[in-house]
Amino acid sequence: MSIPGLHLTQIGSGDFLLDPSRSLNIRDKDSLIDAVTAHLMQMRAVRLYYDLSDLGLIDPLYYSWLDALARAAHIINVEMICIRMQPTAAFALARFLDGLPVFKTALEIQDWQK
Amino acid sequence: MTTKKALSEKVKALFALKVEGIASQLEAPGVAMFCGSNRLMDVDEVSDISHELESLVASLLGSKDPTDLASVEMQALKGFFHNLSQKVLMRGGHVEDVVRYTQTVQFSVIEALEKASGVAFGQSRSVLLYFTSVFNELIMAVFGAYLDEREQTLQAQQAELRETSTPITEIWDGVLTLPIIGTLDSSRTMLVMESLLNRISKDHAKAVVMDLTGVKSIDSQVSHHLMQMVRAVQLMGADAIVTGIHPEIARALVSLNIDFNNITTRASMSDGLKEAFRRMGVTIGHI
Repeated sequence: MSIPGLHLTQIGSGDFLLDPSRSLNIRDKDSLIDAVTAHLMQMRAVRLYYDLSDLGLIDPLYYSWLDALARAAHIINVEMICIRMQPTAAFALARFLDGLPVFKTALEIQDWQK
Repeated sequence: MTTKKALSEKVKALFALKVEGIASQLEAPGVAMFCGSNRLMDVDEVSDISHELESLVASLLGSKDPTDLASVEMQALKGFFHNLSQKVLMRGGHVEDVVRYTQTVQFSVIEALEKASGVAFGQSRSVLLYFTSVFNELIMAVFGAYLDEREQTLQAQQAELRETSTPITEIWDGVLTLPIIGTLDSSRTMLVMESLLNRISKDHAKAVVMDLTGVKSIDSQVSHHLMQMVRAVQLMGADAIVTGIHPEIARALVSLNIDFNNITTRASMSDGLKEAFRRMGVTIGHI
């Protein structure tokens, strides 16, 4: 399924991969979250993997989008795991975070599944 | 308002002089200082720098105000000695060689100008004073280059020391160890974090054991840096295990209100490694 700026693909039973593209407009996060959660509910999703491999930097604005999406997913009983976070993004994010984020993190999907 | 400087006749004659053809007479100090047993330069190179020096001296004496030590011409001359000093130091020479060269070349310039003009500049106190003020500035430029070089060497050594004092080792497939020794300041944390995160990504590490046995004291800033490092490791998707926390450090962390709730800690590096192996499903025992 394609939502503007996002590709949502089922990769297993209850597992979904969310792949953001360059055209993603996170300022429109409410409608994006509505579309993603609606699809996850419809497909009875259990886990949502968010691919961060193309993101070199996570600023507070992008973090607030990830945080809102993870919280919305949690409400519908879907666990969100951010995968393939780049060293530069982790470096930047660690500098302004006070605690651990709402979402989980893993190097790869397989690492989390193990 | 402009101030008119009172110049002696010989100084006026010096500033009116058309300087040319003195390069060969400036070569002797260069050959003596740089072409001896130290072999810092060959004769051709000394000849080149002597020609360049002649041209720069000519520019200074022919400038609008040769007594202005901040003029463009004077800056060019200082740049020449700065570069010469750098060149000699890089080739293993000593700053004393360049200082002696600069002092000797001062007298060679005066002698060469005397020969070229027939005016006894060496007998004039005001001419000698003028050249002394100019060459004092040039010696300062030589020392400036020496200090820059020392500073760069010191920084390079510090960087090397920082790198070697935080060796990141892959002790098992997917398990990295990072013994931290000494003080964690901002610049060191940045370096350690950068190399650690890149290693996690490159080696696909699943656990990092950070050993603080070598850290003797901790303050609010250092603990903040430590937390940042642990958090960045966790954000990459790896487990961070902190080991070897001294009782004094544990007490300091408590009094600083540092939240260690989401961080796995173990008493020693050995316990930390056991925990990392346990999480990876690796069992190690006696045969």
